[in-house]
Amino acid sequence: MPTLHELQDAVARSLMARDDGAAASIVADGIDAAARLNVYRNTMIASLTTALRLSYPTVHRLVGAAFFESAAQIFIAAHPPQGACLDDYDPGFVDFLAEFAPAASIPYLAGVARLDWAVSRALHAPDADALDPARLAALDAAEQRHLRFVPHPSMSLVRADHPVDAIWRAVLAQDDAAMAAIDLGAGPVRLLVRRRENGPEVKRLDPAAWCFTALLCAGHPLQDAIDAASGVDVPSLLAAHLINGVFTTFAAGAPGAHRMEIAT
Amino acid sequence: MSPLSTAARPERGPIPAEAGIGLRFPHHQAVADTRPAVAWLEVHTENYLGGGTPLRYLDAIRRDYPVSCHGVGLSLGSADGLDRAHLARLGRAIERLEPALVSEHLSWSVVSGHYLADLLPLPMTEEVLDIVCRHVDETQSFLHRRILVENPSSYLRYRHSVIPEWEFLAAVAGRTGCGILCDVNNIYVSAQNHGWDASAYLAALPPAAIGEIHLAGHSVRRLDNGATLRIDDHGSRVVPEVWALYAEALERFGPVPTLIEWDTNIPTLDVLVDEAHRAATLIAGAARKTDHADAA
Repeated sequence: MPTLHELQDAVARSLMARDDGAAASIVADGIDAAARLNVYRNTMIASLTTALRLSYPTVHRLVGAAFFESAAQIFIAAHPPQGACLDDYDPGFVDFLAEFAPAASIPYLAGVARLDWAVSRALHAPDADALDPARLAALDAAEQRHLRFVPHPSMSLVRADHPVDAIWRAVLAQDDAAMAAIDLGAGPVRLLVRRRENGPEVKRLDPAAWCFTALLCAGHPLQDAIDAASGVDVPSLLAAHLINGVFTTFAAGAPGAHRMEIAT
Repeated sequence: MSPLSTAARPERGPIPAEAGIGLRFPHHQAVADTRPAVAWLEVHTENYLGGGTPLRYLDAIRRDYPVSCHGVGLSLGSADGLDRAHLARLGRAIERLEPALVSEHLSWSVVSGHYLADLLPLPMTEEVLDIVCRHVDETQSFLHRRILVENPSSYLRYRHSVIPEWEFLAAVAGRTGCGILCDVNNIYVSAQNHGWDASAYLAALPPAAIGEIHLAGHSVRRLDNGATLRIDDHGSRVVPEVWALYAEALERFGPVPTLIEWDTNIPTLDVLVDEAHRAATLIAGAARKTDHADAA
């Protein structure tokens, strides 16, 4: 008699890799163990494919349902989710698509997938209050130079080699004319993705502004980001970020000083 | 033995012994706009672990309806132990949503860090009974509340199972003080699939532990060898045989909060409301009988 862990491991191998080790433990009156396990495998694949389709809607439309389902099935067998929150399943799909040979004819697919994932993360992120700019005004100049921002949980930055924001809009709007008008050779785009009141926002930033924002979101002190950014109108970009609620709070003080200010 | 087991009745709390419906995303707008005449709503806890639009809808809707949180991912039967990070996220969502009932399943979904996205059946053994009871205790202690545990629908049984599922479920309730979410459709589906007596299953459950009933539709799948399996797909109306079994359950348990679940091929809201009204009629009949018995 297998222990519960042994049995559960065997059932998992059956569902993911069609290994038949679990069959010996299953009653097969009238219906064999493989057919019984197949019911669970079908449900698992259907649920996880749905989760991926909801997270990657543009990819799904671009490649079509049949292609998406077969790609998802291969991905699921190799990368089962690590937790029961399927909104988090699975950033690895982007890298999988980038390496997936049958998708090689769509060079922008992985970039679109990266944007889909960022939008999906934005839509499911926890709620958080935006940083009140008045709190910054209370800091002296030295403190302002050293402050480090905390980005809103819905915020992320995406860089892609193709104009994936235009593709994303055209595909989701099912606007064939807009899709046809996209210049795929227009070069890379740098995007800011976040959740607004009634849906996602995908906004292009110029390379310098994107870099400056990326440094701030990575927790670098404001002065370091300013020093690294040339050609950025820091006051107006920072004001726009604050108005848009890109940050939720900040830590003030020189590195090592550990004087934290956390918004409540 | 959990201190919770001293409670004589499950905490039905503000969820009335009336009919409710499972709230799914496609009906958020319709429920918010039309406020259908159902007594309460149940959501899948895992769908509200983040923020944004879903939570905003639910916050608006739950001002007018009592809400129950039904979990699908805790995996009470995992040999590896509970996923404490998942339990913590559930705890935060439950604190936020203030549900009147919290429930989970007698099943497993997680092994070796992999989530298999289905409610898989457990071997019915003393070893597994100990594991499930430990995890129910752990969950109730962590959440500081009693939970309900639901009987699963199943398509396979294990050779080394020695305890009938109904006895196993009653033992979990008896040992941990948890309530039972009696899914009448699941009893019917499993009984048909395994040759059990559905009425005997109901009769073996302790009436005082029944905190909620689930009803849903299922389908019949014909396999290559001509055999059939009933599949609990929540994709159609409740079948007549399940309504009949439900009437029997109400006879045994008295009026119990009852939920209509619908998760695939989701129809317009009015179809769910219609099913809930049918359940409500049967509950009202059971309530009249109970009143009559009390008066006698």
